[in-house]
Amino acid sequence: MTGLIPGNMLEELFVQTLNGIYYGSILFMIASGMTVILGILGILNLAHGELYAIGAYTTTSVLGYVVGISPPLSTPFGTAAFVFLVISGCFVASLLLLPIGAIIERVLMKPIYDRHELYQLLATFGLLFVLTDAIRFIWGERPVSVSGVYSPLSFSAIPVGEFQYPFYNVLVIVTAFALFGLLLYFFSYTKYGRIIRATAINREMATAIGINQNRVFTAIFALGAFLAGFGGAIFVPPTAANLDMGTTPLILSFVIIVIGGLGSIRGAFAAAMIVGLLSRWATWLYPQFEIAAPFAIMIAILLFKPEGLFGTWSELS
Amino acid sequence: MTNMLETTKISKKFGELQAVDKVSLSFGDRSDEVTFIVGPNGAGKTTFINLLTGHHKPTSGSILLNGEDITNYDSAERVDKGLVRSFQIAQLFEEMTARENLRVAQLSKRGLTASVFSRADAYAEVESTISSIIDQLNLSNVSDTPVEDLPHGSRKLVDVGIALCLEPQILLLDEPTAGIPSDQKQFVIETIYAVSKEQGIPTVIIEHDMDLVTEYGDRMIALHEGSVLASGDPQLLETDEELRRVLLGVTSDE
Amino acid sequence: MTTNITTLVSSLDRRHFLGTGALFILLPVLPDILPGVTLGSITRGVLFGITALGLALLIRHTMLVSFGNMAYFGLGAYAAAFGATYLQVRSAILLFVLAIAAGTLAAIVVGYIISSHQDIYFALLTLGFAGLVHALAIGSELTNYSDGLSVRTELARPTFFGAELPVEVYELGIYYLAAVCLVVLLFFAWQIITSPFGRALQAIGQNRQRATFIGINVRRYVWAVFVISGLYAGVAGGLFALLELHIRPGNTLSVFRSGELLVMVIVGGFRTLLGPIAGGFLITYLLDTVRFYTDYYYTVTGIVLLTVVYLLPDGIVGTLIRRSQTADGKTSRRWLSDGPAVVVDSAKQALGWVKFW
Repeated sequence: MTGLIPGNMLEELFVQTLNGIYYGSILFMIASGMTVILGILGILNLAHGELYAIGAYTTTSVLGYVVGISPPLSTPFGTAAFVFLVISGCFVASLLLLPIGAIIERVLMKPIYDRHELYQLLATFGLLFVLTDAIRFIWGERPVSVSGVYSPLSFSAIPVGEFQYPFYNVLVIVTAFALFGLLLYFFSYTKYGRIIRATAINREMATAIGINQNRVFTAIFALGAFLAGFGGAIFVPPTAANLDMGTTPLILSFVIIVIGGLGSIRGAFAAAMIVGLLSRWATWLYPQFEIAAPFAIMIAILLFKPEGLFGTWSELS
Repeated sequence: MTNMLETTKISKKFGELQAVDKVSLSFGDRSDEVTFIVGPNGAGKTTFINLLTGHHKPTSGSILLNGEDITNYDSAERVDKGLVRSFQIAQLFEEMTARENLRVAQLSKRGLTASVFSRADAYAEVESTISSIIDQLNLSNVSDTPVEDLPHGSRKLVDVGIALCLEPQILLLDEPTAGIPSDQKQFVIETIYAVSKEQGIPTVIIEHDMDLVTEYGDRMIALHEGSVLASGDPQLLETDEELRRVLLGVTSDE
Repeated sequence: MTTNITTLVSSLDRRHFLGTGALFILLPVLPDILPGVTLGSITRGVLFGITALGLALLIRHTMLVSFGNMAYFGLGAYAAAFGATYLQVRSAILLFVLAIAAGTLAAIVVGYIISSHQDIYFALLTLGFAGLVHALAIGSELTNYSDGLSVRTELARPTFFGAELPVEVYELGIYYLAAVCLVVLLFFAWQIITSPFGRALQAIGQNRQRATFIGINVRRYVWAVFVISGLYAGVAGGLFALLELHIRPGNTLSVFRSGELLVMVIVGGFRTLLGPIAGGFLITYLLDTVRFYTDYYYTVTGIVLLTVVYLLPDGIVGTLIRRSQTADGKTSRRWLSDGPAVVVDSAKQALGWVKFW
């Protein structure tokens, strides 16, 4: 819809911008997981999209229970409470990704840390294949949605001009910002966070001052998996989970972490927002450039500012 | 006879550190001259070599090679003109054998590497050149082993071998005995000395072991804190007190 | 020692290639013997083998990984489709030539841009360009979005020298064209590997810095081998277009196809000549044919890949060669540099075995 009346255009722009930030928030989840794993473990995790998908599918199962226990939706309080419950449900469902991530790291990644990065990459690629079928095996071929959640979520709206913007989307955005703040705080200002970053920058030195590198690596991979899963989890309630859902987020995550800077959380956030906004604006105005534009930016960054917007850190630089 | 390689007041400053300070030296007065550059760690020896080979751009001063001003030439051009070096940490093509390391260097020097429709080992001149270098460097029994499996001493010699394959007019060797057990150091320097004399290539070597310097050096240059402390016959070491203090008192004894 | 290998190889290579050629002449018999295998799938195996071989040439020497070689495959395929759809070109050979030209030209352009970059940045750039091309193909009316383009002109198949052929003959023709290309390109790959050019590429992969210091213009050489890998991909893309007669972004340009290509190369063994070809066949078989036996063909492929990563890092063919080498008591790494000679040797042994039957 390309309105000819400026008033409508402005509102449409505003809504698409909000959508862009919403999409960017979800992309940030998955990209932040990927960039943290890359920055600290040096692994480019190709199975990340499937971890995202697992988060989504698990959420569809968990949220069924949530719907049952929520208060009536007729009141604004009820609606808000419902949305909070949904997001909490997403969070809980994503916790499954923690042990999954830990197991993947221990079983698959640990044995091949000293090999050429290509093999580590291919291991995650093999994992991608296996996880895709695992999802198919557990949840089947057909898309899965959370029954009873879709309509309430799209009705829980905040008025924006002539539009009603879903309250759910707003809360997702808030959650993403909060998570960004948390991650940033953890890695920049807490003792453990800085120790972990030290491990990434200089592995030998870190071991020398007594850090258990094995545990750090497992924890970080688990964290990365959780973030991806959480992204899928909060993505799914208004829509549905399907077998191909991990593909585009995976590719876009690559693009985002390159643009933002390999290993940089700030970068992941900024780039995710950029990509999210570009994507929604493009879908609205120039659909043919929706996916092409992020790639063009990615290439430009690699050629002219390869360290990304916020710089790469750890052993990658 | 003009000197082959000449620096005029060459200097290099890294931030606040004056690594090399207005050094004016010349090399290649005799065609088979073996010069040792000595000095404590941090004296600027490697930086000086780096300036000569184009790794670093000088903050001031100039370099002449056979009368030509090469101060602004990049490394590749200098290699082309015959200014060749080896490295403190042997820089080799790890999975290739010693022979193949030398072969690719020779092929490159002769401009043959663009060829796709010939076999790499089919050039008689290349093969004979590398075989003779292998013999001279006493690498015959290890020439077909991948260099990553070779002991340190042999690796350093392969590094020198690559340099020789580039048909040098002057050879700059950065600590060729570094990291080699004491009993093998002499073998390495002796070999290099023999090659230099036989081939008539002036050779400049950075070395710490003073016994080797006095035994094999035609000439010795002592650097200290970026400047030339002394230059001349290694026998100077016997007589010059300050020199002895700086070089023997400060350098580590292996 | 070197002299012995030289004489061994020069006496064998002509026979080897004739032997391989003979093998390929016989392959079309397979569909009658093995269930689930069609001539089409064998042909696909051949052309992915070609593509994988091209990619292997890039990786084995320079140790630079490309995540986007399918872009040149896809561009080649689309060029053929364009030729048929928009230019009304009927000749199969002409469409084939168009494909090769397109793939090679694209590799020239992209290669020029990326050849001075290293390691992960090089890899990500190849990914970026592949993603860009894929996205443009999906989003553009010219390429008919995700539905793709036909290689037929008004529903008619491309012609060979002006003659319209019945389906079976056409398919056989495409197969033989592919097989001939494979043998020729295999020979060319062997030439590269044993040539001074190949040595220079090896030097770049082993110690890029030192390669510069022996006078090799690294950037130009990387560019050259990248273009070669693009050419191989373009050839395969053209063959694919002629075989499938309809080109979609999903099965040609997707970034995941590039990933699968990489898998072919590694599973086969990227340091050998026959490895990538074997890998091409194997992975094509797994993805094309196994899907009729089980829904979980992805798992099968994944497990094959993981097995190679953890247990057989030299790839299947590579490990076989290595095993036969150490049995001889020679240094275990010889095969890296004399690989082709050893491949030839093993192939001869294998063919000798077949004779025994």
